[in-house]
Amino acid sequence: MSRVAVLGLGSPFGDDRAGWEVAQGLGRIPWAEHGSDSVVTVDCLDRPGTGLLERFRNADYVILIDAMRSGAPAGTLRRMDPDEMLADADSPSSHGFGLEQTVALGRALGELPSNLLLFGIEADAFDGPRISPALEAAMPGLVERIAGHVRDLLRGGLSANAHGV
Amino acid sequence: MAEGREIRVNVPLLARVEGEGALEFTVRDGEIRDMKLRIFEPPRMFEKLLEGRPFHEVPDIVARICGICPVAYQMSAVQALEAAFGVEVNDWILAMRRAMYCGEWIQSHALHVHLLAAPDFLGVNSVIEMAKNHGTEVRRGLALQALGNELIRLFGGRSVHPVGAKVGGFHRAPDREMVKRLADRLRAALPDAEALVKWIASITPRGKEQAYPLVSLRHADEYPMYRGRIVSSDSLDISREQYDEHFRETQVPHSTALHCLLHGQPYLVGPLARLALNRDCLPQPVRDALDSAGVRMPVRDSFLGATARAAEIYFAMLEALRILDNYELPAAADVPLTPRAGVGIGATEAPRGLLWHRYETDAEGRILAARIVPPTSQNQARIEDDLRLSLQDYGLDRSDDELRQMGEMVIRNYDPCISCATHFLDLRVDRG
Repeated sequence: MSRVAVLGLGSPFGDDRAGWEVAQGLGRIPWAEHGSDSVVTVDCLDRPGTGLLERFRNADYVILIDAMRSGAPAGTLRRMDPDEMLADADSPSSHGFGLEQTVALGRALGELPSNLLLFGIEADAFDGPRISPALEAAMPGLVERIAGHVRDLLRGGLSANAHGV
Repeated sequence: MAEGREIRVNVPLLARVEGEGALEFTVRDGEIRDMKLRIFEPPRMFEKLLEGRPFHEVPDIVARICGICPVAYQMSAVQALEAAFGVEVNDWILAMRRAMYCGEWIQSHALHVHLLAAPDFLGVNSVIEMAKNHGTEVRRGLALQALGNELIRLFGGRSVHPVGAKVGGFHRAPDREMVKRLADRLRAALPDAEALVKWIASITPRGKEQAYPLVSLRHADEYPMYRGRIVSSDSLDISREQYDEHFRETQVPHSTALHCLLHGQPYLVGPLARLALNRDCLPQPVRDALDSAGVRMPVRDSFLGATARAAEIYFAMLEALRILDNYELPAAADVPLTPRAGVGIGATEAPRGLLWHRYETDAEGRILAARIVPPTSQNQARIEDDLRLSLQDYGLDRSDDELRQMGEMVIRNYDPCISCATHFLDLRVDRG
């Protein structure tokens, strides 16, 4: 049995909700009906800081979804490798322990899951209690694309031998 | 020799400090001149924002002043507003507020000790670098922090900007099963907290003692957290309503945070001050841990502030455990109240020190005026003094880089929360 933890990261402010909304979309998919004995859990976390490392424990696969700002058009989905995000992880304050720092700390402690995927969703605006219209429109597509990755992962994880992967 | 050498040290952005601050000083003829901890974080205007708001919105609004100590802001606020309305809460509510507050002390102190103090003491860049050689200690620290967050969540529903506290009590009482589970986890982690006190003391560089007044709450029956009188090491002993007669906030040109002085002098609030003034109120196991770590009171060596934090983690775990072990489900989680026009003052011990609130309300309980004095603005003048003295002791003939690093370490030792300290100062709107 493989355990897949889907973690939507964010805060209640505008497009910072993107990670939550996509995670909730993934949570509505009946994973159990995929004929696998894998367990997919979905959680939405509000700025967990180092608490994120706890969520990594007991998971074979971790999928993190967070809003990002890279200059791409709003709603752009980017898949990142943990190595990509470690460049600027050196100077955390007690108040601002971000995702990069947490992943770097997890790596230093040897506590990163062997399969960690990060999906960044390009945000538009971080104010107001709602997600922006641009992201709202992109939401079903984003959920579907990340769900596709999860399905691949489940198939790979379960039938690795059969497919010779 | 530093004689005749003129050094200007300018650290435009302080690393690992919350908010936007900078450090500037000049050395001339072997003496430090113009020591300035500049704070240019934009004023946050929370006090103005509260004006006109109904009282029941205050706890949720002030919780957003700080992501690390939201409980402290809520506690000083509910205490002040209940005083304004003439409401007395019951013992159950007092005990649960204390337990929730313990959670915040544990998580905030654990962050300071492991993210700021320990890396500085060990001479590494960050907790990430520290994790490579001190993985066990980092894991232990993270586990303690997580326990603190759990405790906040038990009452607040979530640990970042918790929502459980209200004027008059709590929105709901946690169920007994959850309380028991958390109590068991706290009990199991007690040896970790005890070990932390010894470990952090063992890696702390000992500096010179400095002379300055210490200020904290003090209560006859307990280590101060939610209630008590305001006392100082210079025998000040006043009620929270008398604060303004002795403490004065002043504006300095180089900072958007106000400087607060006691009788015109800088003073210290926070764990070291609390510990020095209230050691006799600590449970025996915490006193023993401090003794075996070689910490004698009163301490005025600022770097021992990290050990004081560790001791308070240990204390807060024992205290939360004491409260949770006697937990009973109450008939109601709050007391009824009727708002009225009035003035109320609240003073509690935030993780970083005394947090003082004052509210004026109208007959419907709307906020007419609010004032918040956070720990960081009270410590700011003391931090500047500490910088001057510590750098002088360290040796002004050191390289600029060494002086800069030492200066940053002195500041980080206080973990000043600059976002908390920046006030609304003066706003004039010309609407033509």
